[in-house]
Amino acid sequence: MSSDDHLLLASAAAGDAGALEALMSRHSARVYRLAYGISRNTADAEEIVQDVFLQMVLKGGSFEGRAALGTWLYRVTTNTALNKRRGKRHQMETSLDDVLPTFTADGHREGDRAYLVADWSATPDRELLSGESRRILEEAIDRLPDHYRAVLVLKDVEELSNEEVAEAVGDSVAAVKTRLHRARMAVREHVTRRLGVRA
Amino acid sequence: MTCRDAIAVLADYLAQDLDPETVAALERHLADCGPCTTYLATYTKTRAIGAEAQRVEMPDEMKARLRRFLLDRLERS
Repeated sequence: MSSDDHLLLASAAAGDAGALEALMSRHSARVYRLAYGISRNTADAEEIVQDVFLQMVLKGGSFEGRAALGTWLYRVTTNTALNKRRGKRHQMETSLDDVLPTFTADGHREGDRAYLVADWSATPDRELLSGESRRILEEAIDRLPDHYRAVLVLKDVEELSNEEVAEAVGDSVAAVKTRLHRARMAVREHVTRRLGVRA
Repeated sequence: MTCRDAIAVLADYLAQDLDPETVAALERHLADCGPCTTYLATYTKTRAIGAEAQRVEMPDEMKARLRRFLLDRLERS
């Protein structure tokens, strides 16, 4: 943790509103992105952010100096969000096996060729990120299991290294890489099934 | 390299985390395989738009509530 963060934490724990403001300004955006990314619910994300910041401030000066505060926040936010989601699995959640590519015995892709070469990748981002396409994309992300969304946000949005993601989610680098790849493939498949043929 | 092998290494390929021999084998496969070329293009696009869609901002009123919540808890502790 930077000495700056350490000083701010100690001051915030002592009731210094300015230090608290500085910590929020520095870290709340990433905590919220991750909390929302896992929970996919604004009210749940707000509770998670409050819980994480409260843990941070109450820890205050006793914070162990070796870990970066950012890394600690990612880990605690991930745990808090996954715990909150436990038992609240989304009804729409898809079995990933249904949306991963399938292959013939000799290793070729299975399926109708028109579908296999349906390429929507030239569609402009602004088009894909609005209207019906955006709804389809959000639905695809919603359908991922929570711990897959955690890895997706930490890697593709927060741009952490595989090692940093592994530390945040408490899993091995190999497991993180597998989960990331499967999450992207599942989202790709969902979008392709709905957009691919007409793109 | 088969389609199964190619798709298995796409994440590492995009992360430039493959050894040169595997990169060469993958690129040879892609040169001859329309479905895998399409798969790579849509996979790459999925990564980009998925990240963009998840770059959400914390609403200002939520920040204000967080500030009030924390100050209140600090005062009481």
